[in-house]
Amino acid sequence: MRPRLFSSRLTPTHRRIYRSVVVFFVLIFLAMIWPVATLFSHARPLILGMPFFLFYLAVLLVGSFLVLLSLYLWEDRTGASSDPEEDSL
Amino acid sequence: MVLAVTLGYLGISLGVGLWSGRKTSKGPEGYVAGDRALGFLVLYFILGASIFSAFAFLGGPGWAYSRGAAAFYILSYGTVGLVPWYFFGPRVARLGRKFGFVTQAELLSHRFQSKGLSAALAVISLIAFLPYLTLQMQGAGYVFNVVTEGRIPNWAGAAIAYGVVLIYVFRSGVMGVAWTNTLQGMFMMVLAWSLGLYLPWKLYGGVGAMFERLAETVPEMLRAPGLGADGAIWTWGGYSSAIVISVLGFSIWPHYFMKIFTARSERTLKRTVVFYPTFQIFLIPILFIGFAGILSYPGVEPSDAILPTILMSLDLPAVVIGLFCAGALAASMSTGDALVHAAGSILVRDFYRVLFRPDMTASQQTRLIRILVVVISGVAYYFAVMSKISLVALLLLSYGFVAQIFPVLLAALYWSRSTRPGVLAGLAAGCLVTTAWNLMPQLQWQEIHPGVWGVAANVLVMVVVSLATPPMDSEHVAQFVVD
Repeated sequence: MRPRLFSSRLTPTHRRIYRSVVVFFVLIFLAMIWPVATLFSHARPLILGMPFFLFYLAVLLVGSFLVLLSLYLWEDRTGASSDPEEDSL
Repeated sequence: MVLAVTLGYLGISLGVGLWSGRKTSKGPEGYVAGDRALGFLVLYFILGASIFSAFAFLGGPGWAYSRGAAAFYILSYGTVGLVPWYFFGPRVARLGRKFGFVTQAELLSHRFQSKGLSAALAVISLIAFLPYLTLQMQGAGYVFNVVTEGRIPNWAGAAIAYGVVLIYVFRSGVMGVAWTNTLQGMFMMVLAWSLGLYLPWKLYGGVGAMFERLAETVPEMLRAPGLGADGAIWTWGGYSSAIVISVLGFSIWPHYFMKIFTARSERTLKRTVVFYPTFQIFLIPILFIGFAGILSYPGVEPSDAILPTILMSLDLPAVVIGLFCAGALAASMSTGDALVHAAGSILVRDFYRVLFRPDMTASQQTRLIRILVVVISGVAYYFAVMSKISLVALLLLSYGFVAQIFPVLLAALYWSRSTRPGVLAGLAAGCLVTTAWNLMPQLQWQEIHPGVWGVAANVLVMVVVSLATPPMDSEHVAQFVVD
């Protein structure tokens, strides 16, 4: 009856992996708002021509992309899925 | 010349929109969900382009120009906003295929066995769509007006652009939306990068040089929270809660959510979510455009006019201006078409059919959706050009309302103990609190978005009422909830 994020049919290792991914995205989310963002909210130094804070946000965006991409490719390789009923079309 | 390029572009959109609908089936599964056969590329552009609305093309630079780093919130929420789809998307798509759902409310009202929920979600969707659609139309009219130096008035520009939208949505349904968005999305990407790099280079000698100058003169515009609407430093509460409410609403906007049902397969859906940030990154050059205006073009009013103003002042070849005009129209139309189409579908499937005519046939539904597509466009057009009512307040309210659907969806898919009275009471509490905080500014604290308080009330009431009412039939619930 408790809320459940991932199926009990997943292996414990897989559940751990998926939970870590969710935690990662929650951390990214928190990194963009108060109070964490205040630590990175500077105009300088300019990196790649961009203000530091804009660069910081771009890194978070690219980082999120790479993590989700790795998860997807890992699923492709191993046939794993966050959802045991997922069709394999 | 400018006009010729723009009209040529509209002609191509129309052609693609009409051509794309020729193969789908006649019923709502075809008209609303594209027979659940959309592939990766089309789905990628439909999601990318419907979010990059007139707001991104005109409002994004406008925010960067007048409020500096405050505009970074747009970049932030898209970073994580779609990620929930990776996890609930495949399940939602599967349920759609199993039960024949094509809208969000169908899924949720079936899970909670409630016609009232279906009607409530339809009403929330409409309240949210109308100001949004109206702003897209105003954007389209505005672009025509500025680049023809007033020769084409706003009302005529909006009418031309949305006449085209109306024809292809009417004729081709979701496939028209899908294929025109693919065309418009590619076009916007090219244009955003070229303008975003060209303008700083032209005006300052490069992006780095531009930010160097800005960091010396107005450093407060380069760091969050940027400036508020009044030009003073914005609050972290306002900045952060704008991100929070947008992230909560992002994956759940009804016209957006419906597109889950169009995916060909669950892997396709996941791949689309994975690659979404590659579309998001194009906001960065869009923001450069606004920053380029700060020192070179002070005092432009309204700030949304900054991009057309810069372009018109640079003596660019007419073809380039025409292409910009087409790009801005693409941004407006690719969001507007999805909204019009979704609004018609939702009114028929989730409101009219559920409450009054459960026996409607598939072809009756499609016909009524088409009629409503025309009616809704007409209403939005009225607000866009005739009415003097300001919609900005309504728009603020609508984001707060949409976010209230997020807890309902989580309860539906992840919490088997959630009950019909629970989610109904939660939704009502959330909307009431959001409205109250909007109407009574004295309740404001740290400029936190009213919708955030709404979501808090929503979750609290939903949990308490669910636990106080008997659980729903476990066999029924097990079809929906992760076990």
